[in-house]
Amino acid sequence: MKIRFAGAVIMGLMLAVSSAAHADRLDDIKKAGVLRVATFDSNPPFGFVDPKNNQIVGLDVDYARAVADKLGVKLEIQPTNPANRIAFLKSGKVDLVFANFTITDERKKEVDFSTPYFASGTQFIAKKGVLKTPQQLNSLRVGADKGTTNEQQVRAQFPGATIVAYDDTPFAFAALRTGNVQAITQDGPKLVALLANVPDKANYEISPFTISNDYEGVGVPKGETRLLNVVDDTLKGLEANGTAGKIYDQWFGPSSRAPLPRLFKIGDPQKS
Amino acid sequence: MNGWLEPKYVGWLAHGFEMTLLLSACVIVSATLLGVALAMARNARNGFVTRIAALYVLVFRNSPLLVQLLFWYFGAATLLPQSWMEWLNTPHTLSLSTFTLAWPPFEFVAGWIGLTCYATTFVGEEFRAGMRGVKDGQYLAAAALGLAPFGTFRYVILPQAIRIATPPLAGQYMNIVKNSSLTMAIGLAELSYTSRQVDTETFKTFQAFGAATVLYIATIAAIEVGLILWKRRSAHAWQRGNA
Repeated sequence: MKIRFAGAVIMGLMLAVSSAAHADRLDDIKKAGVLRVATFDSNPPFGFVDPKNNQIVGLDVDYARAVADKLGVKLEIQPTNPANRIAFLKSGKVDLVFANFTITDERKKEVDFSTPYFASGTQFIAKKGVLKTPQQLNSLRVGADKGTTNEQQVRAQFPGATIVAYDDTPFAFAALRTGNVQAITQDGPKLVALLANVPDKANYEISPFTISNDYEGVGVPKGETRLLNVVDDTLKGLEANGTAGKIYDQWFGPSSRAPLPRLFKIGDPQKS
Repeated sequence: MNGWLEPKYVGWLAHGFEMTLLLSACVIVSATLLGVALAMARNARNGFVTRIAALYVLVFRNSPLLVQLLFWYFGAATLLPQSWMEWLNTPHTLSLSTFTLAWPPFEFVAGWIGLTCYATTFVGEEFRAGMRGVKDGQYLAAAALGLAPFGTFRYVILPQAIRIATPPLAGQYMNIVKNSSLTMAIGLAELSYTSRQVDTETFKTFQAFGAATVLYIATIAAIEVGLILWKRRSAHAWQRGNA
């Protein structure tokens, strides 16, 4: 009993020491004068290479730059992809991950997440004026991609909807154009990218609501509470002074190439 | 393996199987009727009619069925006026005293048309082969008995042609059942579509596709059995001399 107690105390001390030894990443960043951030380099408009000057730009990059500016340090971008962004963070090669990083319980075991700064979810494209409220879906024929969670969510939430599943999104959109279905469903950002390439996109609109929500946050190394707090405060500050909305509008606003209504603001309560 | 499918998903598969059977039956009936007409057109005395029939076979037998289905569902639909498409896509019911006849979804209509156009060429060619298999002497004998061309066809040639064509026709009917699975590409909820849907919801891949495979094999086997029974019966009839 005594030995076990002593063991627990030692363990506790070791943990305290180790976290104390690591939890000064914020000081390291300030000392180095550089914030190293991992972003996507081929996922427009979140992070992609601008062909004009070969720099990585995008929504995630703009938010990362705002955090760097708040800290008063230079921003250094490290290109990443969905497979290695957690590894970059855990091995200490980067300080933060801004890579359309969806917050999940599984990932929370590996990294800490900031407050969400972007949300996406299952949305719809329909002819202008057809789809205003979610309840209308119950009387519509809805096209979906085979095997997606979008298809399953519509089936579970709107039993009255007739779901017709196609092999991929362009097929579903072709069915919408010919009038075989009245709406098609996919994740909002994917619908936006699809609509951007359509010649008669003025006839269609993206639904002003989502029926499910994924939240994207900044990936922060586990246990770096001070760094996490600075990121959270910066994001909230960006919303308060209107910068967050401006950054969003630059990439998804009404005059952008791929307009998507802004349904989520930083600090909004999260829906499931 | 983790167990069998839940009743809900078995219901989905049953629904899909029902749709496969319904679609196959509709296509078999329409392709048989049109196939006879096509075979007659190809043997017609009018050169123009023969050439049109040959062109039809050329077009529909020499392009992939999947492309044809996509054409009917996505392509042909864009040519129709918008109001027609709206009418085709809204449910209509026809109430007949005891039961109601529901208008099928557009996926079904497109699948039916596409499969019928394709299967008609094969069924028609089998009929033509059957008609050519009837010996010339039969035509001459019918003429000698004073039968007109239609009478010759109806009472002398057709009964014999059907007997010759039936075994290969059964093979074509099996192909129709199997080809109906391609309509999953245009979103028709038949057996292949529902088994895919069950697989993605339950992750019980073996059970989902295994069940679909067994149901397809059972359907084909039923056609096979029908053919064997028919052969036996007609052999008896042949021996009794009243075929």
